[in-house]
Amino acid sequence: MLVYNFTLALRSLRERIQLTILMVLAIAIGIGLLITVQTMSYQGDKIPLAHKADKIFFVQADNRDIGAEPIVRQPFMTYLTYRDANNIINADTPASKHTTVWKSDVILNSFDQDVRPFRASTVVTNNNFFSMFDVPFQYGGAWSESADRGAEPVVILTKESNDLLFGGKNSVGQQLRVNALTVTVVGVMAEWNLGRRFYDESYRMGRKDTAFIPDTFAIKNNINRRERLDCLPQDRDKQTAYRTKDVDGLINSECTFVRLWAELPDPNLADQYREFLTQYVMSQKELGRFPRELNNYVTSLYTMVTLRNELNGSRNPLAYIAPLFFIVCLLNAIGILLAKFMRKSKEVSLRRALGAKKWVLMTQYLFEVLIVGVLGGIVGTALAYLGLQGMLHVQIYQSDYAVTAQALSHAFALDWVMMAKSILTAMVSSVVIGLYPIWRVVNIAPASQLKSQ
Amino acid sequence: MEFRPILLSLKQNKFLSLLISVQVMLTVTVLSIATSITVETLKAWNMPSGLDHENIVSVRTQFFDPEVNLANAIVNDVNRIKQIPGVIEVTPNQEIPFDAGRPSKVYLSSEQDAEGFDTNFFDMNVDGHKVLGLTLIAGRFFNQTEVIQSSAEQATPVSVVMISQDMAKELFKDHSPLGKTLYLAKESQPVQIIGVYSNFMNGERLNGRGKSYHTIMRPQVIWQHGNNPNYLIKVEQGSAASLFEPITQALYQTPGRYIYGIEKLTRTQKRMYDGRGSQGAILLVVSLVLVLIAGFGVAGLVSFLITQRQKQIGIRRALGATKWSVIRYFIVENSMLTIFGLLMGTLLTMLFSYLMTQGSGQSFLSFSQVLYCSVFIWLINIAAVWLPARRAAKVSPAIVTRSA
Repeated sequence: MLVYNFTLALRSLRERIQLTILMVLAIAIGIGLLITVQTMSYQGDKIPLAHKADKIFFVQADNRDIGAEPIVRQPFMTYLTYRDANNIINADTPASKHTTVWKSDVILNSFDQDVRPFRASTVVTNNNFFSMFDVPFQYGGAWSESADRGAEPVVILTKESNDLLFGGKNSVGQQLRVNALTVTVVGVMAEWNLGRRFYDESYRMGRKDTAFIPDTFAIKNNINRRERLDCLPQDRDKQTAYRTKDVDGLINSECTFVRLWAELPDPNLADQYREFLTQYVMSQKELGRFPRELNNYVTSLYTMVTLRNELNGSRNPLAYIAPLFFIVCLLNAIGILLAKFMRKSKEVSLRRALGAKKWVLMTQYLFEVLIVGVLGGIVGTALAYLGLQGMLHVQIYQSDYAVTAQALSHAFALDWVMMAKSILTAMVSSVVIGLYPIWRVVNIAPASQLKSQ
Repeated sequence: MEFRPILLSLKQNKFLSLLISVQVMLTVTVLSIATSITVETLKAWNMPSGLDHENIVSVRTQFFDPEVNLANAIVNDVNRIKQIPGVIEVTPNQEIPFDAGRPSKVYLSSEQDAEGFDTNFFDMNVDGHKVLGLTLIAGRFFNQTEVIQSSAEQATPVSVVMISQDMAKELFKDHSPLGKTLYLAKESQPVQIIGVYSNFMNGERLNGRGKSYHTIMRPQVIWQHGNNPNYLIKVEQGSAASLFEPITQALYQTPGRYIYGIEKLTRTQKRMYDGRGSQGAILLVVSLVLVLIAGFGVAGLVSFLITQRQKQIGIRRALGATKWSVIRYFIVENSMLTIFGLLMGTLLTMLFSYLMTQGSGQSFLSFSQVLYCSVFIWLINIAAVWLPARRAAKVSPAIVTRSA
């Protein structure tokens, strides 16, 4: 019976093939735009470093003056002072590892005169960074703890900067200059597909950082701070000097510019860590610091990213337009379906008169709309793929070709989840739009249409 | 008019009528939102630049070696670039046209509560106006003695400036700005305006506020480590791309520097607009596809309605209705549904624009856009009815007499 119904459904679809094609197209175009937009936000909202996002914590404590503005958006609250970050790292905490991150711009220049110098977006950190964030290495590895203690002149390059400076060869042990300082390469990272760059809280996808240097080395040699500096009101006029010149003033000041990340062996230790942080801030209050009420946050990477996604959620107008667009397409498909089914009135009334049951007819028509739905889903997925490629190229065009398609493609990739979602959405919506037309057509009274002609 | 019979017949076809109205409602919502955002993003888009941007090269460079003598380096740079065949003029500069940074404010008086006027400062040497190819509107250009060339620590403020045509209009309306004084910052020494030059584009930020051409030119070349000048170079017609390499080589003759970027101003201009341009284009394409789909949909539904009512049309024709009155009947019927849908759609548009701007608080919706979109969709719908209705009107009156 099912097979019979299925062949009938196929025959009916072939009967007026233009209408079938129109219907498939209507669903496909709607699905295409919807899945394009949804894939972008699905890829854009993915949690980076997902397998340990619940164990990595971002540490914030509010040292600002009493008159400072209230905290509205916690992820954008100030970072830590250099002093507090180091005090916390050296204290006895539940964390197994800590790392600090701040950013700089350095000029990498080779001793080889043929290689032109270039500016590298630089991460200033300690050696835990590489193990905490699972950084893959092509050559060498992280610098040692003693390099951190001794402020040794070492650098870790990325594949990109190693290609530029050393032609992609194993450069471990080679020397180059950071600005005018001679440093030694200890490691070259392999392609690090982080998705969004969470560790500096920029959540950027395209351009990557191309050099990593130890914090102690950067402070000792006064490498410039390309950072958001938040100072107390009385220090604001010193901010420019703190960025480029007065490094000693900066690290002893109340200006915040250091991001502190902690790794806990167990997510449940977060409360203990919060307890510790409260005690630390209280002890500092006794020294006359931290004048405000307690605003301490120990936030998991997972929560940080989720908060961030919520804040960015409503930006893209297409996110609102696509669902409406999809509904318009479905309404169109209903119209076509209705026209198609009502032409069958005579056939249906004849079959009913000959004793066909309602549910038999119903399954036949259900098959018909489901086939349309599946076809619409498949074509729609193909359209979504094209749409995403188009969006990727628009993005590259917008960045003035400063990012490569390769660096961005993960943000516009259609994976199995989204493909399944696409076809499932098409099938479900095809059944929904089929409900009314099917109900109309199976309720035609038997033999009613046979009178005339 | 036949409103009553139409309403009665609509009651017979409740579902289809609702379908048309809902479709119109959603279409007008999407179209209004899309065009409103597009109009907003494309405001002041691709305006005339006032520059021969295809033949001006912009080089951004920085010194990383703190031992470099910047004063000598700048003199050498300018001389070396000038010697390259194909180069016409060169000037050190800070702000780059199409890419000017945060706007500054200038004041007409030194009072505390004086009104500030937005502008961007362009610091150049005596050849600056030749590089940009500016026309003198009034007064005179700078002479060599007025140009301040100094390190940032020792620099004295300039005493004369030139302003752009639009800047002059905003500051002094119809009066001549020549010889007037201007304060380039609060509590600063006044400067004298010696000339007015033709407009050129400053950058995205003031462009967004409708002040694309508000600029002030200062005769100064100031340097400091970490903040040394860039260069703007006027080259011979069409030779810009071929000069990138010679210019780069000339600059690299001074060690301890790197070149961050070298490009034609045309490319700087592209970068200024292309984010907004492509967003607008995407929304417009989506809207167009939507209008097409919705148009086809309405045409399909109407032709279905008409086939169902062949007999009714035949009867009316037999009773003496003209072809035109049959067509009119369908147009009126469809317009009633459309207008109902448009009204609902306007409400929905307001709801959506409220939801979308909750975060930013900046409304993009313009009611004239909603009105234009409504009229447009109505016209499209009339066209979609017209074709099937004309076919229907051709039904011969005799058709009813035939069967049954």
